[in-house]
Amino acid sequence: MIVDSKQPQVCVNKDARFTFEGEDNLLIAMEKQNIDVHYHCREGFCGACRTKICKGKVEYVIDPLAFIDDDEVLVCCCIPVGDVELQTY
Amino acid sequence: MKYTTFNQQAVDTMNEPMFFGKPVNVARYDQQRHPIFEKLIEKQISFFWRPEEVDVSKDRVDFLKLTDAEKHIFTSNLKYQTLLDSVQGRSPNIAFLPIISLPELETWVETWSFFETIHSRSYTHILRNLFPNPSEVFDDIVVNNEIKKRATDISKYYDDLIFYTQIYQTKGEGVFEIDGHTYTVNMRELKKKLYLCMNSVNALEAIRFYVSFACTFAFAERELMEGNSKIIRLIARDENIHLTSTQHILNLWTKGKDDPEMAEIAKELEQEAKDIFMLAVEQEKEWATYLFKDGSMLGLNEEILSQYVEYIANQRMAAIGLGQPYATSSNPLPWMNNYLSSDNVQVAPQETEISSYLVGQIDSEVGADDFEEFEL
Repeated sequence: MIVDSKQPQVCVNKDARFTFEGEDNLLIAMEKQNIDVHYHCREGFCGACRTKICKGKVEYVIDPLAFIDDDEVLVCCCIPVGDVELQTY
Repeated sequence: MKYTTFNQQAVDTMNEPMFFGKPVNVARYDQQRHPIFEKLIEKQISFFWRPEEVDVSKDRVDFLKLTDAEKHIFTSNLKYQTLLDSVQGRSPNIAFLPIISLPELETWVETWSFFETIHSRSYTHILRNLFPNPSEVFDDIVVNNEIKKRATDISKYYDDLIFYTQIYQTKGEGVFEIDGHTYTVNMRELKKKLYLCMNSVNALEAIRFYVSFACTFAFAERELMEGNSKIIRLIARDENIHLTSTQHILNLWTKGKDDPEMAEIAKELEQEAKDIFMLAVEQEKEWATYLFKDGSMLGLNEEILSQYVEYIANQRMAAIGLGQPYATSSNPLPWMNNYLSSDNVQVAPQETEISSYLVGQIDSEVGADDFEEFEL
């Protein structure tokens, strides 16, 4: 696979690495890679897809309503801004 | 301190805690200490639905074809959910409203309870269709021992908080003897009761519904009782947002973003909070045993259900900083997620695109360039 340096690189649980190719959100991108992520609402209000963000930043496409800690993101409603490192629960 | 429906003293709600601060007066939302509650209100209202919108008439044919063991599973779950929503349709109002100090939280609690009453009405809608006389099913809820066992644990924290609040609001702090019992009422004690009650409600919203949700969706996977499944999907979506609200309240406390005394209490009572959650998990597992006493159903058995309860308990305990005490790390019922995703909640054909279709449907931004091509 050719790695486009402009596209954000996503690393999950230290072993899965892939390029974010403009999917609607990180959850869809992770599912494409067959990464097991818990989810329910897919709309940012239930919090089931809470994931730790170890490095990098995300931008929310839907306002997240579920509780998230400072080092957590809701992957169902955000996209990466630059490279990110995530850790699933 | 007496409760007043309209506190005539000026209050700066930006400096009040969520609970046990100064009583509320103006229901205003122009300034909010915790704006998340208004966002939850908006989201919840966008989910408004009526049980009558869902056609359950085909379910009767399916129900008659179920085995006796499956009928037992189906009706018992409806009974248990009826109990849960009976409690939730009234208790947050009675227990929390008299002690809430923020208008946005007050309105959230009222909105939350109102939606639980929609759930209660939907059970009657489902049962009326299945049984010529649904009264027998409802009557059994207060005499069925398996349900009563759970009712005790669900209502006791509410009842305790309500009673102590009543004493406090009529007599103030002190030691009181009522009907031969001695009650010590002070603010610390009240706040402890509130903390335990909120944890019990959080556990209820987090896991108590899920054994019966799993059974409902397992029927739907076999294309059975689909009307019922549609209703339960709507209920599950609402319960998810209710859970979010109790998680916010608990986290605002523990992280010291509200009442500093509640942060201390959260530390002090952490083990009790864990115990409340884990007892609920055990009771749900016992409920699975009761459901499958006459035989299991296709695609589900007691063991898988118990693992599922542990799996979601891990997720939900972690969300409020209580760790992940169970060994189950992967989802034993992955298909459940499809039913809990809000995009798959469908009421009427015109709503197929997004479930919260009422949000932002009108674009009210009009600029001067919108009239550029206009000629008079």
